[in-house]
Amino acid sequence: MIPDINFFDFVLYHTSMNGEVYNVTLAALLKFVFILALSVVAARVLTVYLRRSLQDRVSKDVLEAVIKLLYYGTLGVVFISILPLIGLDPSGLLLAGGVAGIVIGFASQNIVGNLVSGFFLMIERPIKIGDQVDVNGISGYVSDIRVISTLVRTYDGLLVRIPNEQVFTTNITNLVGHPVRRFEYTVGIRYSDDADAAIRIIKDLIDKEPFALQNPAPSVFVNDLGDSSVNISVRVWSPVSEWFGLKTRLLWVIKKTLEENGIEVPFPQRVLHFEVEDKKRPQIIEDIKEAEEIENVLNHEERTLY
Amino acid sequence: MYGYHDLPVDVEEEGISISMERVGERWVYRRKFEDEEVEKIILGTEKCLIINPVEPLNTPKEITPNLLIEFEKMLLLGAGEKQQIFLTFPVEIGIFISEKTNKSLEILDVLSLVKQKFTLYGEVSNGVVCKYWKSRVYTSPPSLNPLEEGVMELTLRNTSSEWVKISKAVFNAYGMKLYYDGDVFMKARMDILNKNSAETSFELLSPDGERKGALLKDRRARKEAFGIYGLRKLGLVPLKFYMGWGL
Repeated sequence: MIPDINFFDFVLYHTSMNGEVYNVTLAALLKFVFILALSVVAARVLTVYLRRSLQDRVSKDVLEAVIKLLYYGTLGVVFISILPLIGLDPSGLLLAGGVAGIVIGFASQNIVGNLVSGFFLMIERPIKIGDQVDVNGISGYVSDIRVISTLVRTYDGLLVRIPNEQVFTTNITNLVGHPVRRFEYTVGIRYSDDADAAIRIIKDLIDKEPFALQNPAPSVFVNDLGDSSVNISVRVWSPVSEWFGLKTRLLWVIKKTLEENGIEVPFPQRVLHFEVEDKKRPQIIEDIKEAEEIENVLNHEERTLY
Repeated sequence: MYGYHDLPVDVEEEGISISMERVGERWVYRRKFEDEEVEKIILGTEKCLIINPVEPLNTPKEITPNLLIEFEKMLLLGAGEKQQIFLTFPVEIGIFISEKTNKSLEILDVLSLVKQKFTLYGEVSNGVVCKYWKSRVYTSPPSLNPLEEGVMELTLRNTSSEWVKISKAVFNAYGMKLYYDGDVFMKARMDILNKNSAETSFELLSPDGERKGALLKDRRARKEAFGIYGLRKLGLVPLKFYMGWGL
């Protein structure tokens, strides 16, 4: 005679909940695993649906934060609510979790530090996914802000993982934190050139550039009388998204246009005065005069050689 | 140039050359303006080309949905007053391709004949980048080249209890409605809340696009232009612009 064995009713272990003995059967354990697996699938389907339907309407960083919160929140709630199936009392778990948390916290300070820093990064939001940042000398695009670490894609395409504690406690430069950004050039012209004309030409070129902002207004002015050149400062504001393109394009345009108008960027120059015997002096003076005519530029660093 | 064009088409105006010719089972779109040349291939046969003015926020690159119009001269408006003025705004020419059967539209090309400039409205730390345009203030609609500039009828309403100085108006492209016929037209309002803030929005013309306020003999119907922003599936975007950084 074959005994009537129901494997699903097979008691795996006993636990105590609210003062009563609770038998955890194989069926209850399978049910626990099945519900957990189902909730993982459901949470994934939900996140995929949300990502597809909201990607055009919500910024990427907010969307990712919301999706992560929903995903882990759903799993957490489901997990806690099905704990009685395997004979665990959620309230007891929370208490035990609290004590365990302190113990684990002391044991793994770095991980907890990163976790807490990640939490504060998400609240304070000094950086967002997609921002261009400089964190501790690492520059690039923020590709993800995770619970423990932040991922940065450098400009040359490398993926750098920075622990959140480091991100939170170091200086962060957000290169796109404001809508506009300024860049500056110093353009040197010869002393014999008309600085007013050069300023006018540069201002015209800036005016023709759509992404050189009307307000804050650009400023072009003589900033320094250098050793070999009159130095003109050019300061231009641009939308942060167009800043790099404009900065790399405009300088060469200024240089070419100035040259087309007869204004040149001088080389460093130095005038040498030679002290020679009297009979040779007239000839040398003639030579120097000739040289000055060719290089009709004032020079400022003089040195007498003996 | 504006309007519906059956294919093949070849139009030329103000130095712009737009053509669409059939090559086998497809259409080839070509546009030339100054040094710029655009060529695209459209598959399928039953198509139609629509050229109309679009929101001036797409060239040289779409980086903002906001348009700032600076007035050439500052305006002063008394408390509680309501006045109507006319401004100019830059026009961009939008070229759309459409199915003849179901009228579904897709933007093919956008170009502009006027100078492009951007500006910042507000502070460096939290302002907004806007397309920039400087306009004279008119008391009646000026006559303009419709390929370059349009006329904006702006109703200013001072809801505050003090005089206000107005030197600019900022508009949001979402909600911008352009109409065209011999001219390009849009109608907007600016509700001034106090000396430093106002709210701007666009108003629709009557269903037949009639020019309101014009003499009866001068009335004519304007067509509503297809907008690039209007083609997009919008979520919760504000159709008004709140000017909180000064007027």
